[in-house]
Amino acid sequence: MAKFKFDDDLVRSLAKLLEETGLTEIEFEAEGQRVRVARGGGVTTEATAQPQAAPAKPEAATETGETGEIDAEHLPGAVTSPMVGTAYTAPEPGAPPFVSVGDTVREGQTVLIVEAMKTMNPIPAPHGGKVMRILVENGDPVEFGEALMAIE
Amino acid sequence: MGVSALAPRIFLKKRMEDLSQLDELYHLISLDVVDSTNEEAARLAREGAPAGTLVWAKSQLGGKGRRGREWISPGGNLYMSLILRPNILLTQAPQLSFVAAVAVFNALCFTLPQTAKIHMKWPNDILVEGKKIAGILLESSAQGDMLEWLVVGIGVNVASSPGKVSFPSTSLHESGATHASVEGVLKHFTDSFKRVMEEWSGEGFAPVRKRWLEFAWCLGEKIEVKTEQELLQGRFADLDESGALVLETGKGEKRVLTAADVIMGFPT
Repeated sequence: MAKFKFDDDLVRSLAKLLEETGLTEIEFEAEGQRVRVARGGGVTTEATAQPQAAPAKPEAATETGETGEIDAEHLPGAVTSPMVGTAYTAPEPGAPPFVSVGDTVREGQTVLIVEAMKTMNPIPAPHGGKVMRILVENGDPVEFGEALMAIE
Repeated sequence: MGVSALAPRIFLKKRMEDLSQLDELYHLISLDVVDSTNEEAARLAREGAPAGTLVWAKSQLGGKGRRGREWISPGGNLYMSLILRPNILLTQAPQLSFVAAVAVFNALCFTLPQTAKIHMKWPNDILVEGKKIAGILLESSAQGDMLEWLVVGIGVNVASSPGKVSFPSTSLHESGATHASVEGVLKHFTDSFKRVMEEWSGEGFAPVRKRWLEFAWCLGEKIEVKTEQELLQGRFADLDESGALVLETGKGEKRVLTAADVIMGFPT
């Protein structure tokens, strides 16, 4: 991971802009660094030019892959959250995850659950294929339309 | 057994007759035992069972609570799951968690002595004197952005409670409703649910939210909340427009939670 300089002023400016515009997320990229400010999702700053090794564990939604693409619109095979809620990668605490990176899944197979107010919403794989990335940690809050996983 | 043992049987028979008078909205499926009424209802929903299908079991072998917890399910308590198919966006489905809570709350108000203090604990547990008497767990299936079906699973402790599990518990019989029957609670629930559902369909979430807030447990008070990732303490400030719990965790910082267990409350 390349080193980056944390720009306090830039983050504050983006956060203010977020507040003023009512947007849920703003991403700013310049000189090989990317800063993303999102409501509820915190702030990340990252290098975009450096290729990275394959992740050893599921990545947070804001980390970059080898291509540097992270958002749902540009992520091939993205599985997105149908609602605001809390994502679970396993059926219960301590249980094996529904799927892991590298697994082959069939269409309709439950790959995650998103809970909102004790309403459990199993997320089915929209198509069969290989799980390329898991973009949430167990118990992460998620927004509507947020990329949760990528299935090739 | 003496003569006294006969009385409950006569009572039970009378209540069974009452169930034949359930509103035509409902299609009752009565089972002696099942793995889980939610599982059975979900299976039936996938097979195309109509809205209003109500799976009722006398006992469950694998009753489910939130996040894999067991719902202890001996005979004598109420276990039921209702299939709904409203034409709504999936994002609206969590509102029905509160519709169900208010309906169970109303049913228990009919059943318990007037002096009983009954509250709703976020999002949809029912408490009597600060002890859990009923729990609700919902499971959905979507078709694109639309809800395809929703199973509303409800457990009510009528004759017995599991004692101290993750939260103190009680039953109707232990709380003064010594003659309460499973069938009676089921009937009161179905009547109330129909009314609350009609209100929600016509006027939206606002009146349901208002009723919920009126009888919310520890609203404005300090509570302890356990999420999948952390333990939080703060003031239960509000129920937001979507039904999420608004927790003030100090220095004016607010957390909006969509999934958690409220494990302690400190009512003043």
